[in-house]
Amino acid sequence: MDTVIKQIVIVGGGTAGWLTAAILAADHNADQGRLLTPATLQITLIESPDIASIGVGEGTWPSMRNTLQRIGISETDFLNSCDASFKQGSQFINWCTNTTDSYFHPFSLPIGTAEMAICPYWLPFRQQVAFADAVSPQPRLCAAGLAPKQISTAEYSFINNYGYHLDAGKFSNLLQQHATEKLGVHHVKAHIAQITNNANGDIATLVTADGTVISANLFIDCSGTASLLLGKHYAVPFVPQQHRLFNDSALALQVPYDQPDAAIASCTVSTAQPSGWVWDIGLQSRRGVGHVYSSAHCSDEQAEQQLQRYLHQSGVTDTAQLNWRKLSFKPGHYNKCWHHNCVAIGMAAGFIEPLEASALALVEWSANYLSAQLPLPVSLLTLAAERMNQAFTRHWQQIIEFLKLHYVLSKRSDHAYWHDHRESSSIPEPLQQLVQLWQHKVPSAQDITHSDVLFPAASYQYIVYGMHMNTQPYSHLKPSLVQQADQLFAENAKRRAHQAAALPDNRQLLNKIRQYGLPPI
Amino acid sequence: MSKHVLLNSVEHLDLKIITSRGAEFGDNVWFTPTFPQEFRSVQAHYPIFFHKDAATGQFFSVAVFGFTHQENLFLQDNNWQGYYLPLTVRRHPFLIGKQAVVEDGVEHIQHMIHLDLDSPRVNKEQGEALFLPLGGSSPYLDDVSAMLQTIHQGLQDNTAFIDLLLQHKLLESFTLDIQLDDGSKHQMMGFYTINEDSLAALPAEVLAQLHNQGYLEAIYMAIASQSNIRSLLRLKNQLNASTVA
Repeated sequence: MDTVIKQIVIVGGGTAGWLTAAILAADHNADQGRLLTPATLQITLIESPDIASIGVGEGTWPSMRNTLQRIGISETDFLNSCDASFKQGSQFINWCTNTTDSYFHPFSLPIGTAEMAICPYWLPFRQQVAFADAVSPQPRLCAAGLAPKQISTAEYSFINNYGYHLDAGKFSNLLQQHATEKLGVHHVKAHIAQITNNANGDIATLVTADGTVISANLFIDCSGTASLLLGKHYAVPFVPQQHRLFNDSALALQVPYDQPDAAIASCTVSTAQPSGWVWDIGLQSRRGVGHVYSSAHCSDEQAEQQLQRYLHQSGVTDTAQLNWRKLSFKPGHYNKCWHHNCVAIGMAAGFIEPLEASALALVEWSANYLSAQLPLPVSLLTLAAERMNQAFTRHWQQIIEFLKLHYVLSKRSDHAYWHDHRESSSIPEPLQQLVQLWQHKVPSAQDITHSDVLFPAASYQYIVYGMHMNTQPYSHLKPSLVQQADQLFAENAKRRAHQAAALPDNRQLLNKIRQYGLPPI
Repeated sequence: MSKHVLLNSVEHLDLKIITSRGAEFGDNVWFTPTFPQEFRSVQAHYPIFFHKDAATGQFFSVAVFGFTHQENLFLQDNNWQGYYLPLTVRRHPFLIGKQAVVEDGVEHIQHMIHLDLDSPRVNKEQGEALFLPLGGSSPYLDDVSAMLQTIHQGLQDNTAFIDLLLQHKLLESFTLDIQLDDGSKHQMMGFYTINEDSLAALPAEVLAQLHNQGYLEAIYMAIASQSNIRSLLRLKNQLNASTVA
């Protein structure tokens, strides 16, 4: 008889591990917040007691709202316990030139997306209004420090689309508590000493340092950059991407607010530097700031000086008191995420600079994909693995091309870093083709060749026109659609004015949520 | 505007309160907060719905008097006769204010009667006197004091009631589509009501819990009160007809 995958062991207790555990358990072992008996899956998470998780401030995509709701965590609890705040998109400063240019990549889709593709109709107005401002109320509302919703807006509902900024360590703790207390995930704190295989090459057991043998049908590797199962045990080849995206180092620190009521930015601010960029993420109690850079182009000392300068310009005077942390990483990913009966999720499968906060989004995608394959007969493991690996590879290609796009369109010439980024040998061939095409047409859904994409055409439009790409205006716009687009531009301006009056200050709303909570409906 | 002050028999000895009803006194309200202990009286005349306070996002139980802002269909010819007056309407111009009092070195929060001096009900000529000539409180003021106490406890109890409704997913939003005699169609949004499917599916132990706290009765009162939408429609049609005529 064909065995169906029932026992699942997750290795690693960071955000990736607990998020995966919670998603699988919520999808298969719970209904409306109640545990099903007997459970469909037996889920065990093994966490080494001596490994600290990375835990820098992180950004999520709007998909995290749906994920949290699905696993049954109240948004109020999440915001309050993870020092979390609302993220409405990213602001890119000095990416095009190094003289105070700025553009916005909002989380909301262009107005009227369901009715028409509005982008070509904006081209004639490019001198008057930025693309993102023409099609979304979000950039200006964000600049005005306003939240994406009101205190009376139900949990996980929005007025303007949003994800989160969060403290990854606290987030991981909340997920752990929820997964173990509410979702029946079994938690083992042990160091893995040995991994044994079956005759067919599948992993049979994990043996812990104290000799306990743990067996399962499916092993999920969430061990972070150590990649214990996929990388170390199976030696699946790693595909380095440093020749495309050079950044391999980061200096990170936590910056307290100078006043308890200081404004909390509701977008990630990403400021380009001579050989990298600085992230600035506003949590409730502090900012998370870091400089991610290319060690081939910049020494740690130079990176620190540039970060110091950034901090001074943003009003931080005493930087000596702050706790600096240096991180190094190998940009790239394994050539597959699923090998035999082992699936790697999170940094165990790959990592790249956090320019568009794709890390947690990819964890969500992987866990969702895997969850949708279950229950899976063991005989179909290879087939399911092959399909997930294809999608995994496609996603990594898209992430790399999309991140690279941010650099390729830059006109900065203050450092070899930016020249090297525009060197055609460093640009994936498909991206070179797209950039050529986009001189004549706007980025559209057809340019992104598969469904189930991480970045929709709108994201390319926001970046490409934020970076002032000069697409030729169309000579053949239909008058009726020109009129429809004009109405949508006017509607966007109206919506923005209305929302500017109705939306609360971002920090005020977060404070109010601490006091009253968000209504569940 | 309003100017809230702590009531006292020295400064406010001569004040009187107009207790008649009228738009000029601010009675032209669309709805007012209510609470389970009052549901029995309220449901005899008005629909009871649930509404989120815009400032806190918290749910209130409300008695509804009209279909739109500043519309109180029960207030006719500046009269609001023959109907039960919800306490949160009757309380004006008084409110409860919290005050920290130190007693034997320990701080207590006391609830004291406050008065809105800017209310058009407050004057020195007509209405109910607040104090007896020598400074003792009038029977009217004693009534007010008891009423404020009831409201205070009622709203606290309402919070517990709402928490249980939310916990058991017993609230749902609804949109009221109405058509008036003149053929015009209107929509009323932003209110919530009891989700009767969730109610019907409640396990026995939850029903027992709701019953023991007196909330099961309140839930059915709220459901029954929905038939009062017909009274609102009738009043609205009458009002329209009289304006046309």
